[in-house]
Amino acid sequence: MKKLFGILGVLVAVFVLTAILEPNFLTAYNLQNTLRWTGLFGIISIGAAFVIITGGIDLSTGSVIALVGVLVPMLLVDVGMSLVLVLLILFGILLTMGIFHGVLVTKLNLQPFVVTLCGLLIYRGLARWLAGDQTQGFGSAFDGLRQLAIGRIPIAGDFGLPIPFVILIVLAFLSAGFLHGTVWGRYLLALGHNEEAARFSGINTSRMITVAYVIGVMTAGFGGLLFSLDVNSIQPAVHGNFYELYAIAAAVLGGCSLRGGEGSIFGVVIGAAVLRLLYNAINILGIPTQLEFAIIGTVILVGVSTDEIVRRLAARHELKTTRDT
Amino acid sequence: MGEIPLLEVQGITKRFPGTLALDSVDLRVGYGEVVAVIGENGAGKSTLMNILAGVLLPDEGTIHLDGQVQAFASVKQAHAAGIALIHQELSLLPNLSVAANLYLGREPARAGWINKRTLRTQALKYLERVGLKCDPQTLVAALPIGQRQLVEVARALASNARLLIMDEPTSSLAEEEAEVLFGVIRELQERGVSVLYVSHRLREVMSIADRVVVLRDGRITGRLAQESVTRDEMVRCMIGRKVNRIYTRKRNEPGPVVMRVEGLVTRSTKKRSLSFCLHEGEIVGLAGLVGSGRTELLRILFGVDMPKSGLVTVAGRPVELKSPHHAIAAGIALVPEDRAKQGLILDMSTQPNLSLGALYRHYLGWKLLDRTWENSVTKGMVGQLNIQGVQAGKPTRHLSGGNQQKVVLGKWLTLHPHVLLLDEPTRGIDVGAKQETYKAIDELAARGMAILLVSSESDEIIALSDRVLVMQDHTIVGELDHTELTEKALMQLATGTVHKSPTEEESIGEAA
Amino acid sequence: MLQRASHYVHCVVIGFLVLFLAACGSSDEADRPEVGFVTNGIASFWVIADRGANTAAEEFDVEVSVMMPPDGPAGQSRMVESLLARGVDGIAISPSDPVNQAGLLDEIAQNTYLITHDSDAPESQRLVYVGMDNYEAGRMCGQLLKEAMPEGGEVVLFIGLLGQLNADLRRQGVIDELMDRSHDNSRRDPVDQVIANERYTILDTRVDQFDFARAKGQVEDALARYPELDAMVGLFVYNPPQILEAVREAGKLNEITIVGFDEDAATLQAIRDGEIVGTVVQNPYRYGYESVRVLASLARGDQSVIPENQFIDIPARRITVDNIDVFEAELEDIIGN
Repeated sequence: MKKLFGILGVLVAVFVLTAILEPNFLTAYNLQNTLRWTGLFGIISIGAAFVIITGGIDLSTGSVIALVGVLVPMLLVDVGMSLVLVLLILFGILLTMGIFHGVLVTKLNLQPFVVTLCGLLIYRGLARWLAGDQTQGFGSAFDGLRQLAIGRIPIAGDFGLPIPFVILIVLAFLSAGFLHGTVWGRYLLALGHNEEAARFSGINTSRMITVAYVIGVMTAGFGGLLFSLDVNSIQPAVHGNFYELYAIAAAVLGGCSLRGGEGSIFGVVIGAAVLRLLYNAINILGIPTQLEFAIIGTVILVGVSTDEIVRRLAARHELKTTRDT
Repeated sequence: MGEIPLLEVQGITKRFPGTLALDSVDLRVGYGEVVAVIGENGAGKSTLMNILAGVLLPDEGTIHLDGQVQAFASVKQAHAAGIALIHQELSLLPNLSVAANLYLGREPARAGWINKRTLRTQALKYLERVGLKCDPQTLVAALPIGQRQLVEVARALASNARLLIMDEPTSSLAEEEAEVLFGVIRELQERGVSVLYVSHRLREVMSIADRVVVLRDGRITGRLAQESVTRDEMVRCMIGRKVNRIYTRKRNEPGPVVMRVEGLVTRSTKKRSLSFCLHEGEIVGLAGLVGSGRTELLRILFGVDMPKSGLVTVAGRPVELKSPHHAIAAGIALVPEDRAKQGLILDMSTQPNLSLGALYRHYLGWKLLDRTWENSVTKGMVGQLNIQGVQAGKPTRHLSGGNQQKVVLGKWLTLHPHVLLLDEPTRGIDVGAKQETYKAIDELAARGMAILLVSSESDEIIALSDRVLVMQDHTIVGELDHTELTEKALMQLATGTVHKSPTEEESIGEAA
Repeated sequence: MLQRASHYVHCVVIGFLVLFLAACGSSDEADRPEVGFVTNGIASFWVIADRGANTAAEEFDVEVSVMMPPDGPAGQSRMVESLLARGVDGIAISPSDPVNQAGLLDEIAQNTYLITHDSDAPESQRLVYVGMDNYEAGRMCGQLLKEAMPEGGEVVLFIGLLGQLNADLRRQGVIDELMDRSHDNSRRDPVDQVIANERYTILDTRVDQFDFARAKGQVEDALARYPELDAMVGLFVYNPPQILEAVREAGKLNEITIVGFDEDAATLQAIRDGEIVGTVVQNPYRYGYESVRVLASLARGDQSVIPENQFIDIPARRITVDNIDVFEAELEDIIGN
């Protein structure tokens, strides 16, 4: 938990500062929206975190989102399949993609960067080809299904918790339970720190790494489903572009080390929240959109360096106390 | 001996934390002389070579070259003075051509452009000198290992080396390749190049060296001129140490056979396949010099590497050793040589490290971690093995070497394996922790575990083993019962001075 | 051994590539002139233009390559280079960034006939511009808003990208119309300033870089920031649907007047339902058709197709609930083809 201080500090600082500068920030409407976006981006960030924990990386997230975003409305609306069938097909495709990534990484020993970069290119191309570059959407149909992305659970007065955020919180608890409470999670952390030692401890590291890639693609696909339900207008060439980088940024902000082994699911959720809060602050404060990336880059750097400094101070302190005893 | 030698070393002393690696060593090498340095594992050979090559600085002593005092602060300076070290692991870049490797970092260049033609003619000259007929444009990766060794020598010559230090140059060479290398050494000798030849292959040393210097425990224990070099004499100098009774074991009668290895052929097998068996409650030492194939054998038995052929049975059932988790499931556990890389997850605390190997069978429903079990196992192991410095959440990185090793050992004890493979279990840990490790190993054997112990410290092998298998050249060349176990007997088998065939011997031809 | 294996793999891969390329290139080689039609991106809009271009190609007996770059100017130059390498007889392009693409446009003009469509590059040596006047279209959009909201109010504009001539002109047209300024398409109001007269206040212009989710988020942020907001104008094809989504979810359809651009299906449906006041549509079909028609004549040496003012006007049209049926029937007709 010590590690999350820096990023929590950033979250609170941005929140308070924006609230002071622009009172409209605190309206139920605005907070709901920010929570909804946090939910959507947080879901894909959790998947990215699992892959990063094994010491890998998944660059295909954005393209998976595009492919799902194209496939779902096409199958539901144009082909007219039943929802259950579409979800089953989706599940099958995503599972295959995840296993494909994992097998290439573990059995062929290809670098994760290369494998998922090719995934990025391939899935984007497939999405564009399937849709013929036409914008896809659900039109005005499937309003019930769309509540998954745009619905809210009323809490008090105007304020309701957006469903994607609720989904994120449930997913975060499940993921944290998986990572820290199950044998498989322990295996993932162990092999992320030291794959060879994990293998020498009898862990089937290839299988576990593949599991991580499957989780990565699955959450990207699930997030992609929600994204498509939310924006309802999916242009295959641009939908989800760069989302993998947002996911990776949130994971890193939340304390995942790209060297592997380190990671906290709740850190990732906070990381995603910081990113969405920043976007919201930039827009609501009327800061020119051109500065967006510069501001976000700066905040990520500040957050990550603060964490590193806190960690070092803590390590120094720990060393001192162990020496004293 | 009145004239000034090429190299004169006086009173070199080097201390490492806890050990005296070299203790006032004197050494002379004349012009065009081949001097062999021999000694057991850990006698101080490598330290001496590294000091001469500028890798390490001596704590005391002087080095004279051509009568001039030298103080090498770096490999570069030693190199410039004409000393070249050819490592056991070759340092060539396999993806570059032979010529490029010869002149790496010293390319003949004009205004930043490499002069290809000069490079080629120069390279050809030096390749010829080492008797290597290959195109300088050939990639090093395409050359057989023996020729690469010759390229190393050529590279040293191209940098005007006058003293070549060769560290176990033949360890990966076939016999014919070694012969070619010896020819080259003799030719160099005639040209006035001196060679310091480090090896533990006594036969080689006898054929190539003008003089032999024997190191033991950092001291020179013998200087033999070529006339007086005999194997027995060399072995006597190498082992003449007083054997410490480092641990006294109560030996118990071994039980039935637990593991049987038959006709094992590995990738490195040269002559004979491997066969042996381990009994319940027995500690079997696996002795041999560095590079004799001990670690490779353990890796195969633990499923890390695959054998070419052979049959392994544990508790009467044949087992397929496809991976460590297959081996573990069959009841085989390994405490690896490299604790930091293979034994522990250094960034995790003691508890997850201790339970990691057994998680595959200790869990609650839904694969949930069984914390109660983990806690009790940790408590039990910390007490049983007396692991010091354990704190919840404190990474094992911060434990001492001895306590880290206890954690690795503890990881397997939770599983109660049939067979425990130990690879250098006391390397880099202090004396007190060693005693505790010996005690733990002893107790495990007393409880019926079959233990295969690899160690380069003959004291350890002698004190602990019921029986010792001696390896040389990737095969078992002898077997000694604990009653006939002496350092001399071990060394004679390991260096190939005598042969004592194991009872179950097969040739590859028969096994295949 | 390993080396040899990897050699085989290489051979197989190269073999497949060769076969693949051969299959792609094996369309029938006729003596017909070949022309290129380059868009500034990938969108349904351009798919309609593609239809127009192909219809004209059949009609005027030429070969047309319609190319849609996924990555803006970089993709355009790549595609133009390959067209020039094939020795096409004319190129129609919608330059993403006419000022900085001067070199590319010159290169086309030196090698073959250059015309522009959709977005103009007046400084280049293009022979003709096929398209609408984006400034006038912008004013048309402003006009729609004025009619729907004569009493005035606060407005925010949403756009995909600034710096591209047609986008800049479109935005300026809206601003000038609302501010009751004279017709002058060389003005440029800065992005980060509030522009106001006694009736209308233009609070902000938000740029989304074609990220649909971001486009929606920006609408939400504007709703949060300006609780009194009266109107929104979406200037790129996907902006009106995203405005609609966000405003609908905020339950503010009655409070916010929405004016759009282009003919996304969701936009048209919303006009029918009375949720969007109206939209200004271009005629991409005609862009494609006219461009290919002109290039076909030029390729056969006929310069007479070029008008004096070097401008073939495909006027924008305003679509409101009054004429939406007619327009949709027309659209159906094109896509049905």
